Amino acid sequence: MVKAVKGVILKCDPTVKQVIYKLNEKERDKFQLIIEDLDENHLFIDSSKVDYIKTEVEKLLEENTYKSELLLPLNDK
Amino acid sequence: MPTRIVSHFKTNIYDYLEALPKTTLEKLYEEPATCLAIFRLLPSIARQLVMSLLFDKEGISKNDLIKWIKNDKESLDKFDEAFDKLTKLQMIEQNEKLTLNESFRYSFQDCLTGCGSRQSFGIPLEKHKSKPLDISLLDQYAIEKWENILHFMVGTEKSNVPSASVLEVVTKANLMRDIGGGKYEITNKGFQFLLQDVNTQVWAILIQYLDIAGVMLNMNVVEVLNFFFMLGSLELGQDYSVEGLTPTQRQLLDDLENYGLAYRRKKGSTRYYPTRLATTLTSGNAATVSSNVNIDNTDAGEDSATEQGFIIIETNYKLYAYTKSQLQISVLNLFSELQFRFSNMVTATITRDSVRNALKKGITAQQIISYLTAHSHPQMKKRPSLLPSTVKDQIQLWEMERNRLVVQECYLYKDFKTWSDYEMILKHATKLGVVVWSNESKKMFGVTEAGHEHVRAFIKKKMAQRKSNGTGGNDNFMGNGVNRSTPIGYGDSSNSGTPAR
Repeated sequence: MVKAVKGVILKCDPTVKQVIYKLNEKERDKFQLIIEDLDENHLFIDSSKVDYIKTEVEKLLEENTYKSELLLPLNDK
Repeated sequence: MPTRIVSHFKTNIYDYLEALPKTTLEKLYEEPATCLAIFRLLPSIARQLVMSLLFDKEGISKNDLIKWIKNDKESLDKFDEAFDKLTKLQMIEQNEKLTLNESFRYSFQDCLTGCGSRQSFGIPLEKHKSKPLDISLLDQYAIEKWENILHFMVGTEKSNVPSASVLEVVTKANLMRDIGGGKYEITNKGFQFLLQDVNTQVWAILIQYLDIAGVMLNMNVVEVLNFFFMLGSLELGQDYSVEGLTPTQRQLLDDLENYGLAYRRKKGSTRYYPTRLATTLTSGNAATVSSNVNIDNTDAGEDSATEQGFIIIETNYKLYAYTKSQLQISVLNLFSELQFRFSNMVTATITRDSVRNALKKGITAQQIISYLTAHSHPQMKKRPSLLPSTVKDQIQLWEMERNRLVVQECYLYKDFKTWSDYEMILKHATKLGVVVWSNESKKMFGVTEAGHEHVRAFIKKKMAQRKSNGTGGNDNFMGNGVNRSTPIGYGDSSNSGTPAR
């Protein structure tokens, strides 16, 4: 029987998809983040978790960005 | 891209005038100064037409009018455009013959021949009565007032908060947004505003003011517009009497002082001086440029580098800006990391963080690039590509990086029994234009929220049909080939009436 599920389709690159998978693993006990893995660039997720994913992904990517050391002292001023 | 950003101020005021109802325009045309100002804003062919028709009471047919135009496509297109403008502004009346709008014709005749009431162009006061005001003082005053608003927009630290009415206009115009606690933040539109030349900025603000004036301040739009246009025809350095101004216009004068468009020695004085910002409102571009130089550099005319462009960017994201203007430096500060300041230049670096800060405010990468392109130093223009492509691309990449997640609310359809079911329903949904994603091998597809109702109804209808055909219930949904032909045929005919997208 055909089923229609409400949710959010998330379009992202494979890197971000892996990050989300990691999040899903981390929170597995609390809630199910990913409802369906659609394809390389698409995930089907719970619409109430979108904001959570956005901030977490942002945070993770931020951590993994190289920042020039040269500029840091100047930025502090 | 820069051409779009520096869209001419004339288009703004045109759009506003065209949108006015006929009765308002009629009233506007009763004022000779307004007629002259609007006439000046017209394209040259339209001006020709107006002049030809001005003293012609009988009128002329459109066919005869076209005969005056050179018979090639380019000229005729220009004529059509001009004619269209005149019609939209209700300046031409089209009965059997074309005539100018009556009130426009009389006022404009008065204006050109110097008859009629003089008041329309302001009442100049006798020269020797008081010692004349220095024009440079007037310029300085205008610059100070106007720059104060711009400074406030870019968030210079020492800037004073402009008056309440100015604030009202900038927030209403969506140039700034209230972020609470009496603090304001520049918006995407505000940044765009900063990139434009002064004349465009003044008009943009004035038009916004008009909108508010009509609704909130209970001002008569006709009187306000008349006053704006009159200001445009006044002489710089001359003092004018407030006599003859309506109460609305006196109130308006108070507000215009806030913007630096008019100057009075003290509040409540009966004489006022229009500043350069006001007198160049309806004139050509030459005046605009000269006022531009004065405005951009606090030291008027001393260095014209700002006008030509002053920014040099290296491939290592270092930026050198040869400017003294606090305003330009503040604009740079919106998207770069300022490092050192010298007497005639500042150095800055474009970093990921600084660009992201700008992006967060809603400023787009394209706007930053346009700004850098428009203000790049003549030295940069010698290079084959104006900006170093590394920098340009990187700014765009930083913007894309912020949009790594694209989210769309939808309904996912899955667990189709057979591939043919999947195919048929997907086909229907595609026709409706509501499919966001589909995958054949998984037999799944997603539709938009708006499309969900339609698709569900379609499936229900199919299922009901199936049942009535007696080929089994849900379990056998679209299971056999014999049945398939009927629903598809039916589906096609029912779709024909549905708008495709």
